[in-house]
Amino acid sequence: MTDAPMSWAEQPSTARFRKGVSDAAPALGLSAAVIVFWELVIRLFGVPSFVLPAPTAVVASLAANWRALAVAAEATAIEVLFGFVLSGIVGIAVAIVIVRFERFGRAVYPLIVLFQNVPKVALAPIFILWFGYDLAPKILLIVVIAFFPVAIDMLAGLQSVDPSFVSLMRSVGASRGKIMLRVRIPHSLPHLMAGLKVAITFSVIGAIVGEFAGANQGLGYVIQFASTQLDTPLIFAALIVVSVLGLAFYYVVEFAERWLVPWAPKFDPVQAAG
Amino acid sequence: MNARVMNVKVAGTAGSDSRPAAPVDPAPPHIAARGVAVDFRIEERRQRVLNDINLIVPKGSFVSLIGPSGCGKSTLLKVMAGLIAPSEGDMRVAGLSPQEAVKARLIGLVFQEATLLPWKNALENAAFLLMTADETIKRREAFERAAAMLRLVGLDDADKKMPSQLSGGMRQRVAIARALALNPEVLLMDEPFGALDAITREEMSECLLDIWERTGKTVVLVTHSIDEAVFLSREVHVMGTGPARIIETLPISLPHPRTEDSYADPAFAAAENRLRGLLIESHRRRRP
Repeated sequence: MTDAPMSWAEQPSTARFRKGVSDAAPALGLSAAVIVFWELVIRLFGVPSFVLPAPTAVVASLAANWRALAVAAEATAIEVLFGFVLSGIVGIAVAIVIVRFERFGRAVYPLIVLFQNVPKVALAPIFILWFGYDLAPKILLIVVIAFFPVAIDMLAGLQSVDPSFVSLMRSVGASRGKIMLRVRIPHSLPHLMAGLKVAITFSVIGAIVGEFAGANQGLGYVIQFASTQLDTPLIFAALIVVSVLGLAFYYVVEFAERWLVPWAPKFDPVQAAG
Repeated sequence: MNARVMNVKVAGTAGSDSRPAAPVDPAPPHIAARGVAVDFRIEERRQRVLNDINLIVPKGSFVSLIGPSGCGKSTLLKVMAGLIAPSEGDMRVAGLSPQEAVKARLIGLVFQEATLLPWKNALENAAFLLMTADETIKRREAFERAAAMLRLVGLDDADKKMPSQLSGGMRQRVAIARALALNPEVLLMDEPFGALDAITREEMSECLLDIWERTGKTVVLVTHSIDEAVFLSREVHVMGTGPARIIETLPISLPHPRTEDSYADPAFAAAENRLRGLLIESHRRRRP
């Protein structure tokens, strides 16, 4: 931890890199230990590969099927991208409408919460039934899963504006629309970014679930296909690709956050006590 | 502006009798409340938070509202600012209703919290309300005016600093500059120095007095601090609770210009004692 209140962007890049490495070192070390232990257990006890493949077997499958996996990853990435962007738009719009039109908001908000409690996974077959095996049902499924955190966080952001600020704006005759545009929306950006970070991980889940329910491409399809063949190393290989894809998407959003809202408080998930 | 500043300074130092102390004030009323009452609806019950307020603030005067918590002084300020409509009676600002005064951009507001936008620097914050109030103003012109106001409140090289890099006192200076950039006739301040430490408070009081003397704005200050009220005001309205109203109006005969030395003036101690007595009295009469 640096004592100086320097923002992320102000630190020299070498220092940033060194800090990054030292931050990541414990997690990398632990991962390496787990992988070595895993490999040893498989070899020592002769676990069959279709039950649990050794890390080396997974890597071998990854190398053998990399072209098919890349094609599948592209299909999934497209679903995630469209679904995530649409979730963001829908979530933001819902929050703004609820705040801007109070009466309408009071009617709609409980319904949205109610809808959130419908298990979305169960909707996947219905969407397939309605929209077929293409992109549309996957995107729809992602939106119904991922718009909620965006809407809730954006709502919290819009409503957490200091009332003094609203008074100030009103004291110069600003309309409600202007207060929304100039104060509420920019003020809610840090909240929105937190919601989008949850939404991007939900989007990956939504895409995979959508592909499970019915697809002829994508990483979810690969996983399902491999399971029918008892090709467990391929399942794990696809899982690795899904994880890397999800991680990449997540960091794009986090990078966007640092870029868009540099004034937001830094989030440190594991804060040292005291 | 420099010439004007010098004039005021010269007039102030050459003969303090050229600016007579209250209560003799020939200026016309700038803010006038007649029988103003405010009811709030709290859980279907009407509660009177302000009762029969009669008050005149002369143009160019500096007036404080002081009283125990819950006496409705902030509510009265909000009525003046057009943020709350009176349930009864009539409020006039420069002869207009508060809503009309808002439209005519006569009112500048400062709150206890500086409420700066964290994503804008000091200069942008100081220009922000002006640009909101006047859509036609050119960006450059708004920034020039905001910069001039930042100099006026004593911030010389903080234009590019973000709010998180400013101290509490500096943030409040930006908030005052933001209000002044509107060039309002009336400055309404709700405990503007309430969140600051004692020394910064005194510094800010002197800064505010200096601004008032230079610009000749009408200032209404809501405060908890007896010192602050005496040091700054020409007139102090003491408010009491149950129901909230003005119980006494006290002219402050402390000579101008007021400086650090004014705290040692016998007139300061006299006014302070009188105010303290009134406040204790109003506190005792408060209903449990």
